[in-house]
Amino acid sequence: MTIFLQTFVNALALGSLYGLIALGYTLVYGVLRFINFAHSDIFMIGAWISFTFTGWLGWSTGAPAYALPVILVLAMGFCALLAVAIEQIAYKPLRKAPRLNVLITAIGVSLFLQNTGVLKQVFGTQPQRMPSLVNDHVMFTLAGVGVQFVDVLVVLLAGALMLLLQWMVFRTRLGRAMRAVSFDERTASLMGINVNQVISITFGIGSALAAAAGLLYALKYGSLKQSADATWVLLGLKAFVAAVIGGIGNVRGAVAGGVLIGFLEMYGAAYLSPHLKDVYVFVVLIGVLLVKPSGLFGKAVVEKV
Amino acid sequence: MSTAVTSEPVLTAQHLSLAFGGLKAVADFSLTLRAGALAGLIGPNGAGKTTIFNLLTGVYQPDQGEIFLGKQRLNGLKPSARAKAGMARTFQNIRLFGELSVLDNVRTACGVRAKSGLVGALLRTPGWRAEERAITERSMDLLQTLGIAGRAHEQAKSLPYGDQRRLEIARALATEPKVLLLDEPVAGMNTQEKHAMRSMIQQIRVDFEVAVLLIEHDMGLVMEICDHITVLDHGTTIAAGVAADIQNDPAVIEAYLGAPDDAASEGADGVA
Repeated sequence: MTIFLQTFVNALALGSLYGLIALGYTLVYGVLRFINFAHSDIFMIGAWISFTFTGWLGWSTGAPAYALPVILVLAMGFCALLAVAIEQIAYKPLRKAPRLNVLITAIGVSLFLQNTGVLKQVFGTQPQRMPSLVNDHVMFTLAGVGVQFVDVLVVLLAGALMLLLQWMVFRTRLGRAMRAVSFDERTASLMGINVNQVISITFGIGSALAAAAGLLYALKYGSLKQSADATWVLLGLKAFVAAVIGGIGNVRGAVAGGVLIGFLEMYGAAYLSPHLKDVYVFVVLIGVLLVKPSGLFGKAVVEKV
Repeated sequence: MSTAVTSEPVLTAQHLSLAFGGLKAVADFSLTLRAGALAGLIGPNGAGKTTIFNLLTGVYQPDQGEIFLGKQRLNGLKPSARAKAGMARTFQNIRLFGELSVLDNVRTACGVRAKSGLVGALLRTPGWRAEERAITERSMDLLQTLGIAGRAHEQAKSLPYGDQRRLEIARALATEPKVLLLDEPVAGMNTQEKHAMRSMIQQIRVDFEVAVLLIEHDMGLVMEICDHITVLDHGTTIAAGVAADIQNDPAVIEAYLGAPDDAASEGADGVA
């Protein structure tokens, strides 16, 4: 029972992070019909830039209570601007090019970000420990399992950001514009929607969420591997799987997919074998693709002939 | 037939030409619409009518020629900028945002005139709230005008065909256009629906003070309501003028209406 509950907490925290990252994949896919393979690197930069800002602000040893919101806003803002810049420089010129060209460009961007990150003027090759911005302690004990403050923080903050995004997509004018562009870009344009602007904002929002996930990841797990390390790519990839399982392009599906992947990985590791924890996720992906290729929450697209 | 439109031109197209490879889709097309005008664009399939709509709305850029909305030159402007300038359209093959609700389809188009932006939305400022409320009210009014307010919360794709056409017009009007381009507004409608749509178009022209340019295959409708008709064939304007002149133009009869008996019967069908 203790293992079950402890795993539950871990799974929920990890799943929330996957969900946050998955939203970025799904949002960009929604408006551009393209998989942004550089998204996992934005997540990595979100974690590293949080570390960097913490150092610059002198909070490496002992941080004030307002440190977390400040770093959160800085990291989200930084990654949003970075993503908009990437979109303008790398993807926008390819708006009318075949999808494959954009996809390959995204892989190029991904490699560029990873390898720029290891430069000593940027983040360097040394792994780092993220200073604790919050006073982490056991908040409450549930059936013998101590629930850490940082786990609660991860789940609540991730949940709040997801709700904010939900509201934005389904209740605001910007969200209507995003859904209109997603449905039919040309018609949206003819109805006066500035499609390029909507695409830029979408990139920005998705990347801000990835940055938040990066900061939360750093807070929860502490150690930051160098930017070209495979850990980052693997985390990003699993978040991408979450988006696919939830039905790519579907905002709610991405969150559900993320949580599902988190549970799968954690319970698989706890009860089956921890060595295979990356395998479960991809096995389920294959299963979902075989049975319901449009994802659990996706709708099958009928090819027009 | 009302010909009392003497105000400034709202839409001026001068010598528009566009070729796709070797195919001349539109050649030397000119048109002037004055405020409150109701003009028709007719011609056999493939004559270039929809291409002209695409040129006017910025989906295509012309190889030659100029387009003005009032005094503003539209050449080179993106479709969204032209929508802001006051150009709105509907589509021959309906292109609604099918997954969005009927109301959201209209509200999306209202966004063209909205002021408050992302920050306002995130902070839920009073200005933003007021604007959202105004947009919703105006959208409901438009749906009311078009007679589909009762279906405001249904998914657009679930509407019956005729209502989808009406929704497209409501959405186009939401951008507060100066010029409204209607691509086959009564296509696929039965006689009763056509009658309703005809009065609706005439009503809209007056109530919203827009110049209307419509593409239509229903000769009866075009001949009856349009002040001015342009006939295209193979991208070229073969006749332009009032209905009576068009009906008696030998070039039109030959290229488009076929034998004179056919013309008479087609006209009668449409009016019935």
